[in-house]
Amino acid sequence: MFFRNLPFFIVESWKGLFRNGWMSLASIGVVAITLLLLGLFVLINLNVQNWTQAIKEEVEIAVYVEEEATEAEKNQLENSMKNNPDIKKVIYVSGEDAMDRLSQQWGGQADIVEGYDNPQDNPLLSSFEVQAEDPEEVPRLARELEGLTGVDEVIYGEGVVEDLFAFTNVLKLAVMGVMAAMAVTATFLISHTIRLTVMLRRKEITIMKYVGATNWFIRWPFVLEGINLGILGTVLPLAIIYFAYQEALVWVEENLYFLPPMVPLYDALHETGLLVVPLGVALGVMGSIFSLGKYLKV
Amino acid sequence: MIEAANLTMKYPDGNIALRDVNFQINRGEFVFLVGPSGAGKSTIFKLLTRELIPASGTLKVFGRSVAHLKGKQVSLLRRNIGVIFQDFRLIEDRTVYNNIEFAMRAGGSSRKEIKKRVPQLLSLVGLKEKAKSKVQELSGGEQQRVGIARAISNRPALIMADEPTGNLDPQTSLEIINLLKDINFKGTTLLVATHDQQIVDRLQKRVCYLEDGQLVGDKEKGAYLRVL
Repeated sequence: MFFRNLPFFIVESWKGLFRNGWMSLASIGVVAITLLLLGLFVLINLNVQNWTQAIKEEVEIAVYVEEEATEAEKNQLENSMKNNPDIKKVIYVSGEDAMDRLSQQWGGQADIVEGYDNPQDNPLLSSFEVQAEDPEEVPRLARELEGLTGVDEVIYGEGVVEDLFAFTNVLKLAVMGVMAAMAVTATFLISHTIRLTVMLRRKEITIMKYVGATNWFIRWPFVLEGINLGILGTVLPLAIIYFAYQEALVWVEENLYFLPPMVPLYDALHETGLLVVPLGVALGVMGSIFSLGKYLKV
Repeated sequence: MIEAANLTMKYPDGNIALRDVNFQINRGEFVFLVGPSGAGKSTIFKLLTRELIPASGTLKVFGRSVAHLKGKQVSLLRRNIGVIFQDFRLIEDRTVYNNIEFAMRAGGSSRKEIKKRVPQLLSLVGLKEKAKSKVQELSGGEQQRVGIARAISNRPALIMADEPTGNLDPQTSLEIINLLKDINFKGTTLLVATHDQQIVDRLQKRVCYLEDGQLVGDKEKGAYLRVL
């Protein structure tokens, strides 16, 4: 019964859409804005995650050794860290190594450090570069290492990781709030548009009832009309995301070259589409269900 | 085919539309329902198609109590009752063909059936040439013929006509009522509510008289005016 009449339902659903041109356009617009917001958020989130991951993998803990620590103490410290299951890698950097690195970094201006290269005058402490098994555990691990004997100071990329997480969380909340409001508006507008079609076709609906059409025979065109509105509402955001993201990729590469690479275009589109399209359809279905309940009681 | 026993209908506003109505209509009968406006004719129609549910008493159509039907059963009941309206209730901006096609599709017919049956129906009501005309271009009589074709399109066992000639001139009314007579002659039961004295008197069919929600007379070969 459903498939036999499907062509009829589809034709009717499109007719309804064009009959209420302006209302349809308004509904599509709100759906599009809602989904565009969602899409942009998904993209930002994807990339922030990507970046956090890259940054987290680079986070190291620098464990500075007390100046007066003996060799035995240093060895003991190194062993205890190497035996710690939470630690992936430990590299010893002596004061001299650190000084070499520094003069290399300064390159042409290496003379700045001149005069310090004498081991007695070297102000740099020896240190261990520690990589954690789990980057999220870095803050806790850092505190633990601070308590070991022979440790002068423990430093890690404090703040950066936490800030990134905090930023995504705030963004998530804000976007979710705005989106919820937009989704309600979109559902309302869609249901209103469909209600208009129902009104315009009241006579046909009455006739359908009299000749024994089932409830669902009457409802399907309206449900499909809602789905049409929802799907049309996904086209615009996906197109905008497609073009804007390409631009963004180029811009970020040119201006924010210090950032790790962004998620590639098609991965980004795929991830966004997977959320945006079903949500568009869902908004359409919800809108039509809200408008049908009352009006199509046979 | 139709059995009403102590049928009573009360509207939510307290208005009693029918009280203790009893009648029985058999398969193949042609019955006029007459009486002043507000006597309860429309209420009986609405109860038969289960737009309304009786307040008390029972109404059985095709052997089943309509009050107990639900969902799909209501749709199936309505497919078995063809309804003809005073104001035709056609979709004016569509063609004659589309109007009947639309009803048949809603009534669950297949495309093949529709293709075969619509031309037959149109020639039966004498509108073969008008299949592609828009309903709004037709005269009142022609529109009612479309209404009749639509009413019989799903081969109902019962046809209810609510003032089918109310908007037509006497000559056209006669043609329409003759068409209904033909349909009845082929075996379909007809229930016609009317104020048209000329037609009731001419046809000499069974007449049920309603007054103030009560059945005050029921006469074989009756006339419009009730003779006590």
